[in-house]
Amino acid sequence: MQKLTQLAINSEGFVFNPATGDSFQVSQTGLAILNSLRDGKSDDEIAQKINDIYEVTLENARRDLADFRGSLKSLGLI
Amino acid sequence: MKEIIIGVSGINAIDNPGPGIGVARSLKEDSDLKVKIVGLAYDAMEPGIYMDWVVDKSYMMPYPSGSGDAFIERLLHIKKNYGLDCVIPNLDAELPIFIKYADDLAAHGIRTFLPGMEQFKLRGKDHLNDIAAKISISLPRTKIVTSIDGLLKAIEDIGLPVMVKGSFYKAYRCFTTAEAISHYHDLVAEWGYPIIVQQVVTGDEMNVVGLGDGEGNSLGLVGIKKLSITALGKIWTGVTVKNEKMLAAVADFIREFKWRGPFELECIVHGDEVFLIEINPRFPAWSYFATGVGINLPSRLVRRAFDLPVAPVPDYDAGKLFIRYTYELVTDMAAFQKAITKGEVP
Repeated sequence: MQKLTQLAINSEGFVFNPATGDSFQVSQTGLAILNSLRDGKSDDEIAQKINDIYEVTLENARRDLADFRGSLKSLGLI
Repeated sequence: MKEIIIGVSGINAIDNPGPGIGVARSLKEDSDLKVKIVGLAYDAMEPGIYMDWVVDKSYMMPYPSGSGDAFIERLLHIKKNYGLDCVIPNLDAELPIFIKYADDLAAHGIRTFLPGMEQFKLRGKDHLNDIAAKISISLPRTKIVTSIDGLLKAIEDIGLPVMVKGSFYKAYRCFTTAEAISHYHDLVAEWGYPIIVQQVVTGDEMNVVGLGDGEGNSLGLVGIKKLSITALGKIWTGVTVKNEKMLAAVADFIREFKWRGPFELECIVHGDEVFLIEINPRFPAWSYFATGVGINLPSRLVRRAFDLPVAPVPDYDAGKLFIRYTYELVTDMAAFQKAITKGEVP
């Protein structure tokens, strides 16, 4: 969690890691997930939020969240 | 404030740039410091000689070899004929002479702000084990060798590929023993013994430029990551970073060794592990990057050397981008003629 809270993120989804100098771009969905993770929301809360905003099924929202978590893990952020 | 005339070497702003132009620009950008820059050049083609908006006067210098008498005499000549209150040497090969003669130069009114000879030797590539152990930083497995037998034993212990490094300059990544032997001979011929054989570590190349006050305190530091480098391995684009572990190791280095003067710490960062690769006892060629993000280290050095007020160490933002670019200037051949015939420009 500490690594996530250190990230610098702008409103367009550009993410910069000040500890490593790495940068990447996330989609609006990714941005919503990232901000929710930084706020300490649970997976259920995040999936529900995606479900509310983007009109996807809860099942798809959970899958998107799992995929996104995989990406964050491969970047060493969680 | 009285004008200060500062000698700056390494004004070879070429594809393998010296640090001098970045240092001189930084000094000029401190509007409260009234400085004139004297470029100390070794070749009439060093671009800084012709960059009159940065370098006010240039002198050709003898190479800093042998006893150094001719080198010191040249500095005293500059002092007498133009004025020279301080020198910031920016090339590795000059440092032993400047350190050795620091007191003599000071007696003639030429100040420096450098580490002592013991500190200077300690950061040599063959002593990094001692430093790494004291500043909570990892060192790739390293062997110091002075013979082919030693080289072969080191390769056997470390395993290929290995880095084969000269004690002052140059490093080669070697994938075979034959390659390592070939580079060993090249390095011995060019830079002498010892040769450093080191484990290859992978990760992000991060560097820190810093300035120690000689009493264990930092006068400022900036951490960066190299985003792209040239074929010669020189930074072309970079970004400021705040890798806490690396910056903590640098603070330890300054405190533990009471480092006096500028330095560059080169690291490889892999996940949470920070490997120490090299410590350069001078400003790096990219040191203007620090000035650009608000930490003017050359200015702070001069202020400290002259007991002028030094503002508290400022912070910097991570995520600032550094982009080097090429530029051309056109001037008269008379300047070149002066450089090769008179040894000074203008």
